Amino acid sequence: MTNKNLDEGRQARLMLAISRGVVYTILIFLTVLCLFSFYMLIINASRTNADLQGGFKFLPQGNFLTNLKNAWNDASINIPRGMLNSFFVASCTALLTTYFSALTAYGLHAYDFRLKKAAFTFIMAVMVIPKQVSAAGFVQLCYKFHLTNSYLPLILPSIAAPIVFFYMKQYMESTLPMEIIDAARVDGSNEFYTFNRIILPMLKPALAVQMIFSFVESWNNYFLPALLLDKAELKTVPIMIAQLRSADYSKFDLGKVYMFILLAILPVMVVYIFLSKSIIKGVTAGSVKG
Amino acid sequence: MDRPKKLSTPRRKSVSYAKWGYIFIAPFFITYAIFHLTPQVLTIYNSFFENYREGLTQIGPDFVGLKNYITLFTPDSNGSIDILKYTGNTVALWLGGAIPQIIIALLLAIFFTSTRLKIKGQAFFKAVIYMPNLIMASAFSMLFFTLFSNVGPVNQLIVQMGWSDHVIDFFAMKFTVRGLICLMNFLMWFGNTTILLMAGIMGIDQSLFEAAVMDGAKSIQVFFRVTLPLLMPILIYTVITALIGGLQMFDVPQVLTNGLGTPNRSSTTLIMYLNNYLGASKNYGMSGAISVIIFIITGALSLVVFKFLTKPQDG
Amino acid sequence: MKASKTKKVLSLILASAMSLALLAGCGGTPASNSGSNPTPNTSGSTGTSPANDPAPLKEGKVFNIYAWNEEFKGFFEKYYKVPEGVTVNWIITPNTEGAYQDKLDAALMGQAGAADDDKVDMFLAEADYILKYTNNGATQDVTKLGVTDFSNTYPYTVQAASDENGVVKGVSFQCCPAGLIYRRSIAKDVLGTDDPAEVQAALSDWDKFNAVAEQAAAKGYLMTASEAATYRVFSNNVSAPWVDANNNLQIDASIQTWMKQAKDFSDKGYTLDCDIWSDECTAQMFADGKAMCYFGPAWYFNFSMGNAQDPDKGCSGDWAICEGPQAHFWGGTWLLAASGSDNPTMLADIMNTFINDEEVCSMLVEKEAQFSNNQAVNAKYANDPNFGNAFLGGQNDTAMFAEMAGNIKFENQTVYDQLLNEGLQANWREYCKGTVTEEQAMSNFYKYINEKYPRIVTP
Repeated sequence: MTNKNLDEGRQARLMLAISRGVVYTILIFLTVLCLFSFYMLIINASRTNADLQGGFKFLPQGNFLTNLKNAWNDASINIPRGMLNSFFVASCTALLTTYFSALTAYGLHAYDFRLKKAAFTFIMAVMVIPKQVSAAGFVQLCYKFHLTNSYLPLILPSIAAPIVFFYMKQYMESTLPMEIIDAARVDGSNEFYTFNRIILPMLKPALAVQMIFSFVESWNNYFLPALLLDKAELKTVPIMIAQLRSADYSKFDLGKVYMFILLAILPVMVVYIFLSKSIIKGVTAGSVKG
Repeated sequence: MDRPKKLSTPRRKSVSYAKWGYIFIAPFFITYAIFHLTPQVLTIYNSFFENYREGLTQIGPDFVGLKNYITLFTPDSNGSIDILKYTGNTVALWLGGAIPQIIIALLLAIFFTSTRLKIKGQAFFKAVIYMPNLIMASAFSMLFFTLFSNVGPVNQLIVQMGWSDHVIDFFAMKFTVRGLICLMNFLMWFGNTTILLMAGIMGIDQSLFEAAVMDGAKSIQVFFRVTLPLLMPILIYTVITALIGGLQMFDVPQVLTNGLGTPNRSSTTLIMYLNNYLGASKNYGMSGAISVIIFIITGALSLVVFKFLTKPQDG
Repeated sequence: MKASKTKKVLSLILASAMSLALLAGCGGTPASNSGSNPTPNTSGSTGTSPANDPAPLKEGKVFNIYAWNEEFKGFFEKYYKVPEGVTVNWIITPNTEGAYQDKLDAALMGQAGAADDDKVDMFLAEADYILKYTNNGATQDVTKLGVTDFSNTYPYTVQAASDENGVVKGVSFQCCPAGLIYRRSIAKDVLGTDDPAEVQAALSDWDKFNAVAEQAAAKGYLMTASEAATYRVFSNNVSAPWVDANNNLQIDASIQTWMKQAKDFSDKGYTLDCDIWSDECTAQMFADGKAMCYFGPAWYFNFSMGNAQDPDKGCSGDWAICEGPQAHFWGGTWLLAASGSDNPTMLADIMNTFINDEEVCSMLVEKEAQFSNNQAVNAKYANDPNFGNAFLGGQNDTAMFAEMAGNIKFENQTVYDQLLNEGLQANWREYCKGTVTEEQAMSNFYKYINEKYPRIVTP
């Protein structure tokens, strides 16, 4: 080892320390920004309705448990039921949308057929249509076919999700070269088997990411469920939160509203932490090449 | 692109596998046809009709040709065309949030996946950056509103610290309203983008990195020579979906400005404009026309982005 | 709810005595014990309702009620006895993002083709958008169903539920007269008195009100905490509707007076430029607040003035109410009869119960903190010397409201009112703040109208 090499080693270590310092500073700054809104939510969930009318406070107040009890015991809503309903709808949506988007993307990625390009262009085009206006048409469609008070119109349409499809397609483009598919494919074997048993596991990070996103989106979905579900036992969390907000003056309690908003985040947090474990390194690497 | 591939693969194989392509994409298209097609086709169809409600009375649908489009592009008494103004607002708000969002997300994704940096507490940071996305947009806006109101803590701080002798009305100035909207959109979505990019980087074959490092490449070189090109499809996805989401920006400015896009409609976005038509009178004619325009703008911009980002790769 | 125990017991005795007398007079069933579940008086007190006839049991088995919250459901379940064999089905959709009206509109527009058990029988509406439903065939004439006795209701509640030809389509089970709520200590400082009658004399018209605003400002106070605080008073008293016969927009003189007042107050510092629901406006309710006047009904000071009731920073007891420059109301829920209902008898019976059944109306006042839509019942409590509100320094607000409620009008209203009133306030505020010129403010208001109501012709 020469002196020069030693110097370079020291320099490299110094550079690493500096870049680590910068990185942690950025991370801590962003963490504070992100946690602050969450902190405000917790503070507000610990305040009485009257107190909340008085503007912002920095320290938690003593009404946390009372709000929790009041929200939990509110006669117009059933929180555990709502969470269960939302969990069911969001899970089904997440599973269907990721599976079928991956399937569609694989169909367009791995096979050559005449309408391939047209199909891809079509999906990309409809991805760009704003959904606000067609949402109204969709509701009318559901009324027409008596699909109210059913979870089907909330779950089934997610099979055709252009944005999720697009992600799967791009992910395959970057991580799933044709050679891998050819190697994975035992000639003559059932293509469904190949997809389900070999390809899907390779897509694990992508599936996890899109499952999180679609779960969260479905969990927070308000407008469509509000118009389609009116049986109390079917209502989902956002409808219940809106119901607390629409309460008449004698029952309106903003503390309860914030408490429920806070409670509603917890299950999603758990799902997120659970699924984000699947975003791991190098799934493709060992599986085929070895 | 198709042709050489077809020649290179034996004819027998491509024929036998083609049907699987159709089978695999069938569920998507069947579902799409049942649930999405009619409403979306109706959106475009309605844009050529007068179709709204007056109370409970349905007016139309009566075919009016391009009248709705002409109305949209007719200048007001001051000579400005509303839809162009709102397009400008939307693009400004989008860029203000999306540029930092993608840059920060890319940096974070690299930090988190870097084997050299070995960030500690990754699980914590990854959970935290995603948290703003879990709070409903309307609740998030409500919190920001109280935070920056004239009697809110930010103003209290400003006055107490003597930075200003009077309160700053954040919701009366174009610059601050837009700034807040950009900040909120950034906070809500940068975690989301980070996760997308991270999954993309982690999906890249590890042996490629190893090979590059063995060839003596520095980490910056590895990033530009290996990571970035392989990540490009995901990056394109990120930019295009951020574009689609950005041009359809709605709930944050809607709640923050109570639907008015204050001050002087300078934070009215295209979808807020559309929503104004849709809310009270269910004006499917006008809102359909705005949808088509958003569709065209987004489509055109997506194509530009797509071309711009794929070109260097091909060359 | 707020009354002390003794007051409660006293009024309970009074109520039971009244209801006993009433029931005895009608020859009905004996009164309920402590009013926990009063037997509904099925025919109202007039006996003209067809509900008296036991015959027509051909009516539907399912009674569908559309609502956006559970307020009325609570009263209904406590005070109305559902006929045997009928299931009441509550379709409750929150009004967030307009979901309630969307849901209701879809149901009403599909009413003709719906199965009997799916038909809307009754639905709830607020004054802000009630005309959307009364002024057309979606609702039916309740006098034909047997709701005919309006002698005890307040005239404006009947006006509000009537179409342009005066056909009554529903009733309200509550009445929400609103007044001028003022800080006693500030009134004393500015006017030299905090007595409601004397304060009323000093603020009985807008010229006096504006003059007092100047005096208040001279002493460092704000007349109101928001330039929109007085808006509802003006808009309740317009002499012409928002649109003329040819759908041209017209801004009533009363509204124009408000616009002048708002800009004037704002420029001179008599008020703040903020929404009435903003933290900025309600912050002035604290003890150290500077605002002298708020405008609102009973629910406003009972539930929306939390800052004033804050045990540490509030000023409970330092408030009082008087009628103010003009009579007005704020809030209230109406029950409307949907056309095509297959339960017309029950529909009429519910309405009669909540306006004419003295026992039920008494319960609403006593147990539910409501100001009922029955003048006789309210008068009972208005004359009760033990009825007083601690928040208002012991003032008997029921007496005040009973006096005011008769002066309220519901005239020259249109289906556009809610959004036009909101839109004008919001766009005009930008001008008051000085962020836009008057022309820009009006141009933005016209754009707002054109987007929401294509039929209205704006300048």
